Amino acid sequence: MKLQHHLGGIENLGPVNTEKRVFVEPWEQRIFGIHTVMMAESAHLSDAPHRYPVDTLPTAFKSNWTWASLRTGAEDMQPFEYFKYRYYEKWLGGISQFFVDQGYVSAEELAEKTAHYSAHPDAPLPDRPNAELAAQIDAYLQNGDSGYHALDGAARFRAGDTVRIADPEAVDHTRLPGYLRNKIGVVDLAYPGAFSYFVSTGVDGIGAPMPVYRVAFDAASIWGPGKSEPNTTIYADLYEAYIQAAD
Amino acid sequence: MSQLFEFSDDREASSAARVRALEALLIEKGVIATDSVDVVLKHFETMAGPFNGAKIVARAWVDPDYARRLVEDTPKAIAELSLPLGMTGAEGEHMAAVANDANVHNLIICTLCSCYPWPVLGLPPYWYKDPVFRARGVREPRAVLQEFGVQVPATKEVKVWDSSAQIRWFVVPERPANTEHLSEEELAALVTPESMMGVALVEAPAA
Repeated sequence: MKLQHHLGGIENLGPVNTEKRVFVEPWEQRIFGIHTVMMAESAHLSDAPHRYPVDTLPTAFKSNWTWASLRTGAEDMQPFEYFKYRYYEKWLGGISQFFVDQGYVSAEELAEKTAHYSAHPDAPLPDRPNAELAAQIDAYLQNGDSGYHALDGAARFRAGDTVRIADPEAVDHTRLPGYLRNKIGVVDLAYPGAFSYFVSTGVDGIGAPMPVYRVAFDAASIWGPGKSEPNTTIYADLYEAYIQAAD
Repeated sequence: MSQLFEFSDDREASSAARVRALEALLIEKGVIATDSVDVVLKHFETMAGPFNGAKIVARAWVDPDYARRLVEDTPKAIAELSLPLGMTGAEGEHMAAVANDANVHNLIICTLCSCYPWPVLGLPPYWYKDPVFRARGVREPRAVLQEFGVQVPATKEVKVWDSSAQIRWFVVPERPANTEHLSEEELAALVTPESMMGVALVEAPAA
């Protein structure tokens, strides 16, 4: 069981942070950018509906890198460290580790280069622009990476159905918010079509194309009437693997 | 335990050097190019950002038929406007709008990560990504909204939208009173990212 899967609903955390900036330190922009370039170069995009030419891109990057990669890393963190580090600090840790683990860079050269830029913060980056990569990044940002598929067969549930949310075995990565496990909701909408996820989550159940439902939950039925605010409805989009008949 | 929450004195400088080192090595190894990160950042300055969402909201305010179409079929309604390319692009492949009104206040959240409608709102602000907002927003949305300065009366329903699958949600806030004299462009200038996520109301300009 992972704390990160059960964030929704944790009590006693104190006031929210109302910081409105996206980046609170200039360096954060760079790690956001690196992550987004990796998504635009990800090998899996050759099979995406948009048929990006990633096979022939002039890049040494030959791995899959999607939101699932980043999320799995964040969900795998020591839970207190997850709370300790700021958003982009987590990204920097996860992405650096990925490049080391996959052999793109060694820990030693990363340490050496970090020492260099610590001593010379204004030292320039190597000068190797690439228009073909730039075009792919723009194409990816403009066309995206949808998991939509035509639905083969019928969706199991319809709007108005009362459903029970599944409680699958906890694995590395999930798209089922923990606070909804075993709860009763009402299907508000069966989205047209079916949706795949970037990776298979194994016994958790998502990956292959399946219907997705918008399910409505009375907040009092989730938190208990004494622990809930009045007149509140929670909606979540849930893959069919997470939905059971309420019986 | 206590050591776990200690930071080094050069916390930001060391992250800055590390990310610079990573970017330099990735360029040297041919993984990315010198201009790659800047291409991404430029997209969020010129193509994808809250400036698009503000135009969509302002149109919904001046055209009730458009407001209805926007909620019924969000991508189609967005495509009616002259916005930059990429309105169904990354993190906007499947967007949906929900409208505040006299009876309903909507709040968008992502309890598992930080899903956000990039084409119309750009990148998520810090508050949206913070674990405390994500933890508390689904349990006590009214208390959270109060901390943002928004009072929602008990008679008004609060709808919380947890972005857990393909849909990226955004809110059409209520048009502030006494703005009848404003043009669509002037109205758009009032709309903030926070109001399009449901943690702020749109204020009329001071008279």
